[in-house]
Amino acid sequence: MAAKGGASNFEKEQMFGMAEKEMEYRVDLFNRLTQTCFEKCIEKRYKEAELNMGENSCIDRCVSKYWQVSLLIPFLFADSFYAYSIA
Amino acid sequence: MASPEPSAAGAGAGGESSSQAAAVEPIRMPTAEEIKGQDIWNNCAVRSVVSGVMGGGLGVLMGLFFGALDNPIMAEEMTARQQIVYTAKQMGRRSISNAKTFAVMGLIFSAAECVVEKARAKHDTTNTAVAGCVTGGALAVKGGPKATCIGCAGFAAFSVAIEKFFDRHT
Repeated sequence: MAAKGGASNFEKEQMFGMAEKEMEYRVDLFNRLTQTCFEKCIEKRYKEAELNMGENSCIDRCVSKYWQVSLLIPFLFADSFYAYSIA
Repeated sequence: MASPEPSAAGAGAGGESSSQAAAVEPIRMPTAEEIKGQDIWNNCAVRSVVSGVMGGGLGVLMGLFFGALDNPIMAEEMTARQQIVYTAKQMGRRSISNAKTFAVMGLIFSAAECVVEKARAKHDTTNTAVAGCVTGGALAVKGGPKATCIGCAGFAAFSVAIEKFFDRHT
């Protein structure tokens, strides 16, 4: 990022590749989150079209926990990777 | 974060389906107002107050009906007009007392069911049973512990039966 004035093609491609990977990761995270919380929280026999209150609070909790875990694990992974590389 | 993906998915699905048949509409995410409008009904206080008001209305109707039926009219002393006035007053008194009872019942039942369902995060008949027990116990608490237990069990059974009766039609 310090050599931004040069605008080399390779750097642009690298950034584009990283952004693409990041986008794929985000989309995959969203899809997994949706599928996990749907299977966990929503009853299979549909009685009405709208979410009732139990399902609503279940989805709130499920999404919150999933998001916390998905933010926590990269930190733990980075820490253990760093400790492993210097040990 | 989530806004690019669903709209892309919706547009993709819309493009695909509109090429096949014009009858299928693309998926439309709810607007903020729609979400807020649905969220109002998720609030326990709002829900219990609305239930209490509906219970009060039901109590008024029941009081009018049964107050009109229940008349020890002393026919010798009063004229027709006085009979009507007496009956009307009796209907009013009875409907107000019924309205209060039913309003309190509806409020407690709805509040208990809402709180239990939010805590358990499940939609079950257990919620109805617990709420019925709390309501029956609260209404019968003046009669002592035994009356409270009987009221709890009775009202829980009644509310589960009503729930199953309405659920069969769904």
